[in-house]
Amino acid sequence: MSHAIGLGPTLIVDDDASMLDRLTALLKTVEGTPPPLCARSVAEARRVLSDTPVLYTALIDLGLPDGNGVDIIAQLHNQRPEVNCVVISAWEEEATVLSALRAGACGYLLKERDDDELRMALQSISRGGASIDPFVARGILALISATTDITPPPSSGTETTGIDRMSQRETEILQLVARGHSNREIAGLTGLSRLTVESYTKSIYRKLAVSSRTAAVFEARMRGLLR
Amino acid sequence: MNRWLRCMALSALLLALAACSRTPPVEHAASGIQQLDHADAAPADWHSSVPPDTGWVPVTLMDVWTSHWPTHDGVVWYRLRWNAASADTPMGLLLDYVCLADAVYLNGSLVHRDQALVEPLARSWVKPQYFLLDKPLLRQGENELLVRVSGLAAYQPGMGTVTVGDAQTVSALYQQGVHWRYDIPLFNQAIGVVLGALFGMFWLVRREDTVYGWYALSALLFAGYGFNFIAPSVWPFASTDGWEAFNAFLYAAAASSFAIFLLRYCHLKARGLTRTLLAFNAISLTYALLWPGSAGPQRSLIIIVGGLIYYSGIVAFIVNAVRTRRTDQRVLAVCLLIPLLTSLHDFLLFFGIIRSNLYVLAFTSPLTLIGMGFVLAHRFAAAMRRAEGFNVELQREVATATDNLSNTLAREHELALVNTRIGERLNLVRDVHDGFGGSLLSAIAALERSPVTSETLRTTAVLKQLRDDLRLIIDTTTTGPHTDLPGLLAPLRHRWSQRMEAAGIESQWHMEGIEQVRLEPARSLDLLRFLQEAMTNVLKHSGAGHVALTLRRTDARLLAEVQDNGCGFDETTHTQGVGLASLRARAERLGGAMHLRSRSGEGVAIALDVPLHIH
Repeated sequence: MSHAIGLGPTLIVDDDASMLDRLTALLKTVEGTPPPLCARSVAEARRVLSDTPVLYTALIDLGLPDGNGVDIIAQLHNQRPEVNCVVISAWEEEATVLSALRAGACGYLLKERDDDELRMALQSISRGGASIDPFVARGILALISATTDITPPPSSGTETTGIDRMSQRETEILQLVARGHSNREIAGLTGLSRLTVESYTKSIYRKLAVSSRTAAVFEARMRGLLR
Repeated sequence: MNRWLRCMALSALLLALAACSRTPPVEHAASGIQQLDHADAAPADWHSSVPPDTGWVPVTLMDVWTSHWPTHDGVVWYRLRWNAASADTPMGLLLDYVCLADAVYLNGSLVHRDQALVEPLARSWVKPQYFLLDKPLLRQGENELLVRVSGLAAYQPGMGTVTVGDAQTVSALYQQGVHWRYDIPLFNQAIGVVLGALFGMFWLVRREDTVYGWYALSALLFAGYGFNFIAPSVWPFASTDGWEAFNAFLYAAAASSFAIFLLRYCHLKARGLTRTLLAFNAISLTYALLWPGSAGPQRSLIIIVGGLIYYSGIVAFIVNAVRTRRTDQRVLAVCLLIPLLTSLHDFLLFFGIIRSNLYVLAFTSPLTLIGMGFVLAHRFAAAMRRAEGFNVELQREVATATDNLSNTLAREHELALVNTRIGERLNLVRDVHDGFGGSLLSAIAALERSPVTSETLRTTAVLKQLRDDLRLIIDTTTTGPHTDLPGLLAPLRHRWSQRMEAAGIESQWHMEGIEQVRLEPARSLDLLRFLQEAMTNVLKHSGAGHVALTLRRTDARLLAEVQDNGCGFDETTHTQGVGLASLRARAERLGGAMHLRSRSGEGVAIALDVPLHIH
């Protein structure tokens, strides 16, 4: 996006100290990334954000002691769209990850993964790509079929999203991911470069994001993604 | 059997009736009686009280006087003479037929006089007349019989033969005549009224079955028409014309309703034709009631149209019955053939083409009535059988529907149970990964940041194993029971592709024929655990640069193989490690077997061979 190498100035929002440590340590290994800012609650995150004019990346956990990280993501998506929001999730929680993506996140990290895997995911994000797992692909595909089934023509509302504008190539990639193919395998099957596959993923996430924060929360609640 | 018995009983009844209906003997050439068929006749006016002196012509009995005096209404005197050998024993005198009313004189003395000798005339023609003659009225030698007949030219006026002789024999002849000409028509009428009333009630309680209604109407109208053959006077009509006109209407109406009955029997509505027939009857009724003086003498017109309706109805029905090949229609057609032939005879008789005083329709009509009663009853029984059959059919369908419903309910219940179980499982897993899972991850993260000792390394390894197993439990739960094997394996495949890649091992997956293959949840978990353990071994111990995973379905078996190109081990010397024993145990739990192929320096191939379904 706005930078070529590394994640740039980064904020980590997580109430789990060990996770903060772990991510901080991992970020050190990603080239071109300064030591990250840390916040343990929504309020602290808002404070840090207001004090930090230049921010490229935000890694945000959702279950915070004073609120939901999705609110921070939605706020950043609307007010500082240059910030790459990445949601931190545990155990492939489909609802959590999807609601974050709908709010404007353009990637996710899974706490359960080994350090090596997380490092790869962070490197992918730093390259402008995004990782995607079968459960996320499955969730997006379900969202697409639900949207094409129930949504009236896009012109009828202000909360239009790009779900119904998903290209054939993007849908194909989602289907391959849902069947368990790795990015490398998908590159082989589609004849695209691996980097292109990853940027397709990011484009998918962007189309998934709804335009306003309230709409995101509203829609997340409607779809039962938020409890 | 039952049906045959009934058919035979009916046939016997019909035969018995047919035997009764044979043409009765009219003349007996028995000794002691003589039949007189020569007379002299002379016309006179209505009020003539003595035979005229002139105008006598010889006639042969049976005589219809319109053949001599075509337009003569009034009185004709018939004079007969015969010789009685002796007057010592009383003699019987039988006047076979007098139309319409008469007075009888023997040797100048009055023997009998009808109540009404002027209009409205009595109807003596319906019965023969019998008198017992004795001295002094009866003379030895020549006797002269004078019969004063009052009649109307329009209604075949005249006189039949006269029989005299042995009182007992003549009386027997008289009884016979009454029997055939009076009793049987009376009997027919009774049958007609009864059947008409019976089927009329059928119709009353089942209005939509108009076939019974029309049959009842025609039967009752025919009975009314038949009253002509037994009525002693023209009451309630004021004249013979009025009576005859109304009687002709009754015939036409009976014929019309019979034709409509036949149409309805063939399930034809024929509304236009029905309306035409009703209109014709309305006109003829009006004509008969308002202008009896014209309608009576013109009754032939109404009778002819009625007859045409009747016979064309019957002929059309018979033709249709032959074409449709339906048993009940054919039986009815045979029943109708009898009146067709007999009434043809009567028709000819009515118009004087055949000379007789016996209308045979009266004798065959019980046959027809009973036959038609049988057909209608049969039709009714068939409808009942259909209704009963329908009930049976309905019961069967209700039973089927009930079965289907209970099956559906059972299936839905089963589905609801399955969904509840899935929901419970999901809740359980969510609780586990929210609580226990979170703590597990924190512990791993904390241990990995703590100073490295062999203890922390081992603990971390165990915790990661726990984490991976929890991972698989979540996988089998969240994919749901309807996911096929590729869908089930997708998270594992994706995760391990990344993990192998991070470890610098190239992994390749091959899947053959396992689309649409599903395993029960418990076996799914065992399969995933087997593959995960095999891959963990590759990751930790093989030192391989390449691993190939193959899943293949052959018939009803599933083959899974994990093959690496690592260091391998010598099968003969390698002590069975805990890892391999665990793999073998999982293979057995899956109801299959594990095969290990390895040589030192040539990698390891672990194969699992399990049946797809365990019963």
